[in-house]
This record gives sequence, structure tokens and C-alpha cells, in this order.
Amino acid sequence: MSILANKDTRVVIQGGQAGVNAARRMAEFCYLIKRPLSVEAFVYPPDAGKTNEIPYGSGLIAVPIYKTIAEATKNHPAINTSLVYIGADRAMKGGLEALDDSHIKVVSMITEGVPEKDAKILGAHARKLGKVFNGPSSIGIISAGSCRLGVIGGAFDNLVLSKLYREGSFGVITKSGGLSNEIIWICSQFADGITTAIGIGGDAYPGTDYVSYLEMFENDPQTKAVVIVGEMGGDLEERAAEWYGAKKRRVKLIGVVSGFCQESLPKGMKFGHAGAKEGMKGEGSARSKSDALKKAGAIVPPTFGALGPAIKETYQEMLKSGQVKEIVEPTSLPKLPKTVEEAMKADEVIVAPLIRTTISDDRGDEPCYDGYPASELINKGYEIPHVIGLLWDKRLISKQEAEIIKRIMMLSADHGPCVSGAYATILAACAGIGLSQAVAAGLIMIGPRFGGAVTDAGRWFKYAVDNKMTVEDFLAYMKKNVGPVPGIGHRVKSLRNPDKRVKELVGYVKSLHIKTPCLDFALQVEQVTAAKKDNLILNVDGTMAAVLVDLGFPVDSLNGFFILSRTIGLIGHWVDQKRQDSRLIRLFDYLVNYAAPKRREVPPLK
Amino acid sequence: MAKVLEGPGMGLMKKWGIHVPNYVVVTSADELAKLGQANEWMKTSKLVAKAHEALGSRFKLGLVKVGLDLNGAVAATKEMIGRQVGSITVSQVIVSEMIAHKEEYYCAVKSTREGAEILVANCGGIEVESNWDRVKRLCLAVGQAPSPEALEQLAKDAGFTGPLTKKMADFAGKMFTCFDSEDAQYLEVNPVVTRESDGAFVALDAVTLLDGDAKFRHPDWNFAFAAEFGRAYSKEELEVMAVDSKIKGSVKFIEIPGGDTAMLPAGGGASVYYSDAVVARGGKLANYAEYSGDPPDWAVEVLTEKVCSLPGIKNIIVGGAIANFTDVKKTFGGIINGFRKAKADGKMKDVKIWVRRGGPREKEGLDAMRALKDEGFDINVFDRYTPLTDIVDKALQK
Repeated sequence: MSILANKDTRVVIQGGQAGVNAARRMAEFCYLIKRPLSVEAFVYPPDAGKTNEIPYGSGLIAVPIYKTIAEATKNHPAINTSLVYIGADRAMKGGLEALDDSHIKVVSMITEGVPEKDAKILGAHARKLGKVFNGPSSIGIISAGSCRLGVIGGAFDNLVLSKLYREGSFGVITKSGGLSNEIIWICSQFADGITTAIGIGGDAYPGTDYVSYLEMFENDPQTKAVVIVGEMGGDLEERAAEWYGAKKRRVKLIGVVSGFCQESLPKGMKFGHAGAKEGMKGEGSARSKSDALKKAGAIVPPTFGALGPAIKETYQEMLKSGQVKEIVEPTSLPKLPKTVEEAMKADEVIVAPLIRTTISDDRGDEPCYDGYPASELINKGYEIPHVIGLLWDKRLISKQEAEIIKRIMMLSADHGPCVSGAYATILAACAGIGLSQAVAAGLIMIGPRFGGAVTDAGRWFKYAVDNKMTVEDFLAYMKKNVGPVPGIGHRVKSLRNPDKRVKELVGYVKSLHIKTPCLDFALQVEQVTAAKKDNLILNVDGTMAAVLVDLGFPVDSLNGFFILSRTIGLIGHWVDQKRQDSRLIRLFDYLVNYAAPKRREVPPLK
Repeated sequence: MAKVLEGPGMGLMKKWGIHVPNYVVVTSADELAKLGQANEWMKTSKLVAKAHEALGSRFKLGLVKVGLDLNGAVAATKEMIGRQVGSITVSQVIVSEMIAHKEEYYCAVKSTREGAEILVANCGGIEVESNWDRVKRLCLAVGQAPSPEALEQLAKDAGFTGPLTKKMADFAGKMFTCFDSEDAQYLEVNPVVTRESDGAFVALDAVTLLDGDAKFRHPDWNFAFAAEFGRAYSKEELEVMAVDSKIKGSVKFIEIPGGDTAMLPAGGGASVYYSDAVVARGGKLANYAEYSGDPPDWAVEVLTEKVCSLPGIKNIIVGGAIANFTDVKKTFGGIINGFRKAKADGKMKDVKIWVRRGGPREKEGLDAMRALKDEGFDINVFDRYTPLTDIVDKALQK
């Protein structure tokens, strides 16, 4: 047996993420003791109508979220307990809502920092209704082998180590959350473990105090002794002592109280819990509490360290008197399924990776590009073109190569609003489309007819150079197998009206006196084609392509130089339209050649 | 529990219709002189000047001056402002009118488990402290307001007679309303006096303790809470408080000068047992500290740096029970970063570190702590199988 929480406990959790985390811990416990998930519903108005997915074993259970307690208990009439994880400013309202629901008999509040008055109102309201209000600031309640309310008991491994999968003989009541776990652990190591452990919270006026729970433990035949962990401040321990001393009790009481250090510290020093403050006239000191417990006949070890041996001694006596029997532990217990990460760490599983990367890794404290930390690249004077070199071609390019790439990018960054890419971005911007989509609209235009010829130009010039073709052979080959030579020809520019960007780039690259076989070949091709037709000149795509191939960049990366550079311009166009607050535009009818059939009658539908 | 200084305390009482003397809180003598020109009562009444700080025994320290005229009050203010008492510098002075009176009474409202208690006595000042049996009580359940009849009965029980009965009953009623409406935990007026000029009951001196947790529903609490142990918070303590107010979970830090055992334990409950163990072993605490509720690692790191910076420490106790949901590895990560910084600043010489902990990811956390040995830390790491406070015994073994 146990008190407060058992196999029949069905729970609604009031609150958001903290409540979901608690539900996960509770599911781990349910899985350990092989009972179905005890959490049936959440109440959290912002997410009402959705579900929270709670892992149970290796599966997931969808737990519905409701707007009100009434809705939750209407749909899940077995609910009899509520856990409150609502912020301190709304906690009282939530607690009262739960207490007022006829299905709910126990409300445990985890919220910290609840005003004292609110806690008193909740406690008084519960007493009036004959229900239990536990907390605020409670870590939870756990009945070994049957029910866990909240995160009390800690991680799965601790549940097993502390033998919480089956009942023992000791009840535990603590103010402190961390110490509740410690005492559960001690009871499992020095004795046969616990029946129920309750965190009543460290506030000055908890809704339910030691005495109410001692009374319940007294009536639970499985519980043979109760451990209480007290603190200075208030009079809860004195009241527990008074209860214990009032008449012969069936349960043994073991108690420790903290706060003896107070005697040698500055007066009024505030410790961890709100309730830990000394009374006005010395009442509530650790010593007075400890003395009161001793006087009432409780076992009071002198220090926390002596608690384990005291529990052990009590247990040995109970064994000797036949009050309890030694427990045979189960030979096997369910193991919590490992996550993939945990299993990999333990070398228990091989996972076939979904993707493979050879260029970058940001799992450390900063990204590494082809192995080089970004900050180190910055501090050693490397620039954007070097990063391009690392990420596109996995090599650290030279200063000279970087300078060429920088110039290519500067020359290709924008080409005014009328070209397909910029025009598409502007159209989108005027339609109120966001930056990334509007820029994407412009980028979509990059293809065989606009800006997308760099890769193809590079491919064919390289093909010619690699195969040592003459210009004539190349042009004949292209005519037969490919079509117009990519990188040759311009809509508006011609021999007489040359493209200044090409002149600039070619002039610079030539001035460096480096080997440029592709560029040289492309210029020879231009001489032949331009002689045939004035506008069949080497265009900027072709020039870039030839130069980049000469620098050793892979052909497949070449369009990237145009895409990257032009993105700068497209972003500029979007921001420009945004800044001007441009209006939606549409074509004028006179810009359209309406060549569709004239208006005519629709025949009847057959 | 949050203590409020007299000025704002009297402000709250006045808000709920309790007569208080006229008063001003000033930060300089010039300000007081200016106010003196603007307020008639300051020219006509006898005045009291008191240092407006959370200091005990102000009278003995010469920080209360009575029976002054305006010039005297300005002079007293000039003298008090800037005075250093321990760690507190007097920065404010409260100047109030003296109320001519003969009789002194006592009235208080106190928070109890059931609700509240109204305390009344027909003596006041020091007399009530030596005659505590003359204090009569009225107990109220939470949500219950005292009836006028019950209040009059209380006044009668305390020995008030004639028209004074009703006056005291009214005064106590207003005290309760103020207590209840302002989320107070303790309100005490000692003495309550009868103003000779009009016979009204006036609150002459007040102690006000409010429930700091209720601040969210009191937008007019625009005052700072006073330090609670007779000294100002240090810069380091204030920095940790600032972190504490920003995070999920909590970090707490209070310095205790002169100690050599530094505390860095987890948990509001366990931390006190660790402090007890140090004192029981004859050790001297250098601080109180605590982190709990799975705080972010950077917050624990700040706390660790403060702990490591305490002067003259020989041991650091990184204790803790078996955590429910505080991630041991993550929080220890913060502590380890703090230790490394302190070591780089040369602060960890001859400092021994003692660790005991359990909880989620305990193995990883404890392993990380153990690895500090290789970095030259003098560190001893124990797991859940070593009882909670045994590391204190080991640390303080002679």
C-alpha cells in the first residue's frame, strides 16, 4: 500500500513545457513498473486542441491538451489528480480550478514563488472540500511500485538504483526536493526502500504539512516508519513532534532538521527555501525543532550523515521483530530504450549515415571550413574568395587567385533593373513578397538564356583545350553536336560597342602573366565568330568561365560565381523597392500583343 | 520575506487610511532645506531625523536625532549622510514631525498558518516588550476579515475603555486591511500614539515586511527591499542576485567574512545541511551558496567565480544530493569553467576541492570533475555511494 498516489491515480497536468518534462519522467516510471501512462490529459489553453507526444518505452503516446480542467475530466473521467506547473502569478487560479472539479481529489503544485496568501487560500479551500492540496514548490510525490507524480525520483537509472519499482517500508516527507531523492536513496541502501515519498515544498505555509501526512502513513499498514527532513523556520516540525508525542503511534518517526549553522551565523540570513527563516523569538530554530522531536520520542540522528545508520538500525529491529521480511529483488527489470546517440556512444549500434559531407563541420565551438576554423582564417587575413575556394573547391587559393575572384564578383554583382533576374525580384518586391522569396524569384531566372551559361561555356572551352582542338574544329564540333557556343554572343554589346566588363577582366588577368589556356582559346574563338557577325563576341559569362577554368575551379561550380555575385544585386533591388515603399505593378495592356481568339459564345456542355 | 524601510512602509499605511506623521525622505541636506521652504509643517513642528537605512540600534549609533527645528534637522541630515556603518553608507535620511502625545499603545498584524493574527496592547514602546502578556490576539482564517464587533472586543480585552475602544478597533481594522491588501507578512506599529492636537491614533514607528513573491500584483511597490541582515549587499552578492532574477532555476550567494571553507553546493535543502556539517566540524564558513532548479551553466559559472574569489579559502565544497532534474553534467560544466578561469587568475593556489553529487548524467559530470586533476587541480570527487556530507568530514579532517 501507499498513500496519496497509487495504481488508480490518473493525472491531468496543468501547464506547458515544465509539465511536459514531468510527464516524460512519469512515463519512464510507468514503463519501469509496467503500468500504462498515468498522465491522461494536459490543460494548457494556448495549445488546446493539440497533443503532447510523450515517449513511453520506444514508442510515443499522444496526450490531448484541453483548455479547462472541466473539459479534461469530462473526456477522461478517471482523472483524480492534478499537477500544477503554472507560473506563480496564475497558479492560484489554476489550483482552485482543479480543486473545484469533483473528479479531482489531490492537487500538487510545483510552481515556486507563489505568494503566501495564495498558498493559504488554496490550502484552506482544499481542507474545506476534504481534498489534498500539496505544495507549492513541491518536487512531487512518488509511491514505489505504483505511481509517480512529478519529477521526484530523478533519472531512470536512479529509479532503479533506489528500488522504486517495488514497495519498501519507509514513508518520507521532506521540504527540499533534492533531499527527497537523497532520502529515498538512503532508505533503499540502508533498508528496504520506501512506500511513498512526498515533497511538501519549502514555503512557509505549505498546503499540507507533516501532520496530515503522518496521519495517513499511520493508517497505511505497509508503512512501518516515517523519515522527515526538516529545516529551521516555521513550526511544522514542532507540530509533527506534538502529533507523535500525543499518543502511542504505530509508525516509528525518524527526523533530522537543518539549520544548526544558524547559531554561528549573522542573524536573519536567508537560506535556500522561503520557509527557512527563524521566528521572531528563537522559535523555529533547528535546535528547538530537534529537541521537540527527541522529546516526543522520535529518533533524531545528530547529523545528516548519521541518518543512514539510524534508518538501518530501525530496519534491522523491524526485521528481527518479524514486522518486515527481506525482499527478494526481481531478477530482471525493463531497461529504458536508449536513444540512438546513447547507443552509438556505447558502441551498441551502427547507423548508416544519411548524408556525407567533405567541406565543413560546425559541431565544435565554431565552424571549420575544410578543416580550418573560421576565426583563424579571419585573423590570418583570409577573405571571402578564400572561403569560396575552401567550400567550392576544397583548397586554399592564393592571394592572386583571390583577387581575380573578387574582381569577377564585383563585375557581376548587378546589371541594372531590366535583366530577367533583377526584374523578377523587383516584380516580387512590389507584390509585397519577402526578401528570401523575392531573391529566389530572381535566381530562378538564371538559366540557359540569362547568366546561366558560365558552366556550359567553361565546359566546352575546357573540352576544346583538353582535346587540343583548333578553333575551326571546335566551331564545327559545336555546330554539329551542341548548337550556339555558350559564352559567345550578346543581346546588345558588339565589337563596336564592347562589353567593358570583359575588357577589364581580360586586361587584368593578362597583366598577371599567368598561364591562361582557356581564356586564350576563347579569345581566338571570338576573333573568328565576331568576324562573322558583329555581336558574336566573348561575353562576360564566357570570360568568367574561361578564367575560372584556368584557375582550376571545377566546371560544375562555375554558375555559382554568377549566382553568388548576382545575389548581391538582387538583394539590393529588393531593399531598394522596400525602401521606396513601391506599389504593386502590372503590365499595361499596350505592352501585350493580344493574339488570343476573339470573344465567342461558349457551346452547351456535352 | 522582504523588509521595507520606514518611508515606503509609512507610505503603504497612509494609502490605507492609517494616520502617520508627515515625513520626507531626502538624500541631501540641501534637499531638506528646500522642502522646508515648501512645507508648512516642517517650519512649525518639532522634527525627528533618522538614517533611512536597514540598520539596527540607530539610536545608539547617533543616527536618530529628536526635538529638532528645521535648521537642526538640516544640520543632522548633513552629519548623517555619507556616514559609514559597517558595510552600509547612509545615503538617505527620513525627517518626520514629532507628534506630541502622552499615551502609547501597540498594534501588529502577523501572518499565521491559518491566516492572520491581530495583536493589540494598551501599552507601547519598550513597555510592551517587557509585558508581552498584555498583548491580546484576534485570530483570523485566510479570506476572513475581522468584524467591527470582534475588533472592539479585542480592544476591550486589551484594556481599552470608553471612546478609546472604538479608536483602537478602527486602527486595528485599518492595519488589517493594509496587511491583507498589500500582501504583508508582518506589520507592526509600536508605538501607536494619541495625537494631542486632535485625539487621532497615529502610527509613530512601523515595521513592514512584505511578501516579495507577490510583487507581480503590486505595480505601486516602486521601492527597493532592504537587506535583511543588518548590512548592505556586496557587489558580488548583487551580481549573483542580478543573474538569479534572469534565469530559470536559482543561484544564491552570501558572503561571510573571515571564513575559510567555501560553499558551492546544490539545492536549497542540501546546502543548509552542508553548512551545518561545516559548523559541526568546527569549520568556518566563508559564504552561503546554492544553485538549484537546473539553472543554465553560465549562471553556475558566475556563481563559481564569486566563490573562488572569496579571500583566504582553503576548501571548496561542491556538494549536492541526488538531483531530480538538474542536469549534473551541464551544471558541473559551468562550475568547471569557473574553476578554470579562477585558476588562470591565480586564485586556486592551495585550495582543495571536494565534490559529491548524484542525479541526471551524474557519471558524465563526475568524470568531467575528476579529469580536472590532470589540469593540476587539487580535487577529490565522490559519487552517490559516499553519504551526503562526508566530504565535509574529509575536507576538515585535521
